[in-house]
Amino acid sequence: MPFKIYRKYVMLLAFTAPALIFYAIFLLIPTISGMYYSFTDWNGLNPNYSFIGLGNFVEALKEDPDFLNSLWFTLKYVLVMIVLQNVLALVLAVLIESRIRSKGFFRTIFFMPNMISTIISAFMWTFVFSSVLPQIAEKTTIAFLGQSWLGDPKVSFFSIIIVSLWNGVGYMMIIYLAALQGVPQSLKEAAIIDGANAFQTLRSVTLPMITHAITICFFLTLNGAFKVYEVVYGLTGGGPGRSTQVITMNIYEEAFSNNFRYGYASAKSVILFAIVLIFTLIQLRVMKKREVEA
Amino acid sequence: MRLKKANSLLITLILCVGAVVSFFPIYMAVINSFKTQGEMFASFTALPTKLHFENYSQAFQKTHLLNSALNSTLISFIGIGGIVICSALAGYKLSRTRGKMSSAIFFLFVASMLVPFHSIMIPLTRMAKDLSVQGSTYGLALIYIGLGVNMAIFLYHGFVKSIPRELEESAQMDGCNEFQTFFRIIFPLLLPITVTIAILDFLWIWNDFLLPLLMLTDVNHYTLILSTNMLFGEYNKEWSLILAALVLTSIPVILIYSFFQKFIMEGIAEGAIKG
Repeated sequence: MPFKIYRKYVMLLAFTAPALIFYAIFLLIPTISGMYYSFTDWNGLNPNYSFIGLGNFVEALKEDPDFLNSLWFTLKYVLVMIVLQNVLALVLAVLIESRIRSKGFFRTIFFMPNMISTIISAFMWTFVFSSVLPQIAEKTTIAFLGQSWLGDPKVSFFSIIIVSLWNGVGYMMIIYLAALQGVPQSLKEAAIIDGANAFQTLRSVTLPMITHAITICFFLTLNGAFKVYEVVYGLTGGGPGRSTQVITMNIYEEAFSNNFRYGYASAKSVILFAIVLIFTLIQLRVMKKREVEA
Repeated sequence: MRLKKANSLLITLILCVGAVVSFFPIYMAVINSFKTQGEMFASFTALPTKLHFENYSQAFQKTHLLNSALNSTLISFIGIGGIVICSALAGYKLSRTRGKMSSAIFFLFVASMLVPFHSIMIPLTRMAKDLSVQGSTYGLALIYIGLGVNMAIFLYHGFVKSIPRELEESAQMDGCNEFQTFFRIIFPLLLPITVTIAILDFLWIWNDFLLPLLMLTDVNHYTLILSTNMLFGEYNKEWSLILAALVLTSIPVILIYSFFQKFIMEGIAEGAIKG
C-alpha cells in the first residue's frame, strides 16, 4: 500500500523535524561551511575572498611554528592525561569498592571537584599555586612547594595536568565504580579460593570484566583532552610566551584576537577535527579487539 | 571479598590522604574568602580570626550575581527543555522506524558527536551573527539545543528499545493519534533517561565558558561563569574578592549536587554505558 509507506516517512519527518532544524542550523551547516572556509583566504568581514585550495593546510603544517608547538603540546597533554586520569580513577574506584564502610563519603569527596566549572577550578588553583604553596614553602622550608608553578613552562605543564586531573578524575571514577559493581562477586570468590591474591584477582578477573568501561573512559579522556581550553586559559593563559598554548587556543587567537584570519583558522579547526577522528577510530579499533579477546 | 583489618585500614588511610588533597583547594578558597588581604598574607592556612562578609557583598555586587545567575538559569532551562522535547520525539521515532532514511538520519546525528566544538566555533559565530541571535540569552539557549540534541537522541534511541511496542499499539486502538500516543504514553515512560539527559546537559550548559564568551557581548546578558571570569580579569590580585566570587559561583552547583547526588552518579554511569 503506497499510502502507508508515504505516511511512514511523513511521520518520521514530523517527529525528527524539530531536532533536525536546530541541529542543521547550529551544528551541521557550521561544520560544512567551516570546511569550505578552510580552503579560502577569508578574513571574516571582507565580502571578497578567494579559493586558495590547500594553501592554508600547507601553511599550518609547514610554516607555522606556533601552531606546530601547540599541536605538540596538546599531544603530550592528551597522552599524559589518558594514562594518568584512567590509572588514578581506576585505582580510586578499586580502593573505594574494596572498602565496606564510608564508600559514599569518599565517592562524594572525589567527585565534588567535577561539579565546579573548569574555569572556576583553574582560578582556584591559580590562587593555590601562586600564593598558598609558595607561602607554605617559605614557612616550612620545603623548597619543592615554592617553585614557579605557573611561570616555568616545564613545571606549568604539570600544573595544568594536576588541575585537569583534579577536575576530571571523579567523572571517570564513577564510570569505573559502576562497572566494578557489575562484576559478579562469585567470580572473585572463585579466584580467591583458587589461591589468587588480591592483585592477581584484579588483573585476571576484574580488569577483563570491565574492559567495556575502560574503552569508554579512554574514549572520553581522549576526546576531552584534545579540546582542552579552559584549564590552560585560567592557569597560564597559554604563557609564558606561547609555551603552554594548546591547539584550541591557537585557533581562537587566529580567528578572534590576533589576525582575524577566518579561513586560516578554519583550516586549523579541520586539522584538529581530523586528528581527533583518527585517534578516536584507532583507539576504538584497538580496544574493541581487546574486548573480544577478554 | 572481606579484607583483613590491616589492609582495610591502609586503604582507608590512602583514601583519606587523597580526600585531603582533593578538598584542599576548595578549603583554601573558602577560608581565605573570609579574610582581609593583610590577614591572608600573614598566613593562608590559618583560620580567619573574624568572618569578613564584606568580600562576599562586594563580589555579589560586582558580578551582578542575581542577574547573571538568572541568565544562567534561563539559558539552562530553555536549552534543556528544548533538547529533551526535540530529542525524545526524534529518538523515539528513529528507534521505532526501520529503513534507509531512518538509519541515515540517525547516523547523521551520531556521527556529529565526534565534531569538536572548537572546530565549528568560527562558522558558528558567523551563523549566529547572520541570524542575529548573537548577544542574546535566548539565542544562546537555541544554540545549546542545536549542539545538544545529537547526544540526547542517541540516549533516547537506546532507551526506547526497552519499552514494549504493545503499549503504543493498544493506545492507538483506543483512538490516540501518533503524537497523543507519544506524549501520553511514551514520554512519561522515558522519565529515567530524561532525568539523566537533563542532569548531564545542566552541568554542561551551566558550567560552559567558551560559547557564552563568543556569543554574549553585553554584561547584562552574562552568565554566572562569564561574570566571574570578567571579575578575575579586572581584580587579578585582589584574592579576597576573587575567592568570594569563586565560592559564590560554585554554591549553586554544589547545592544541586547534594540534592541530586544519587541521580547524577547514576546518570553519568548510565550515560557512559549507553554511550
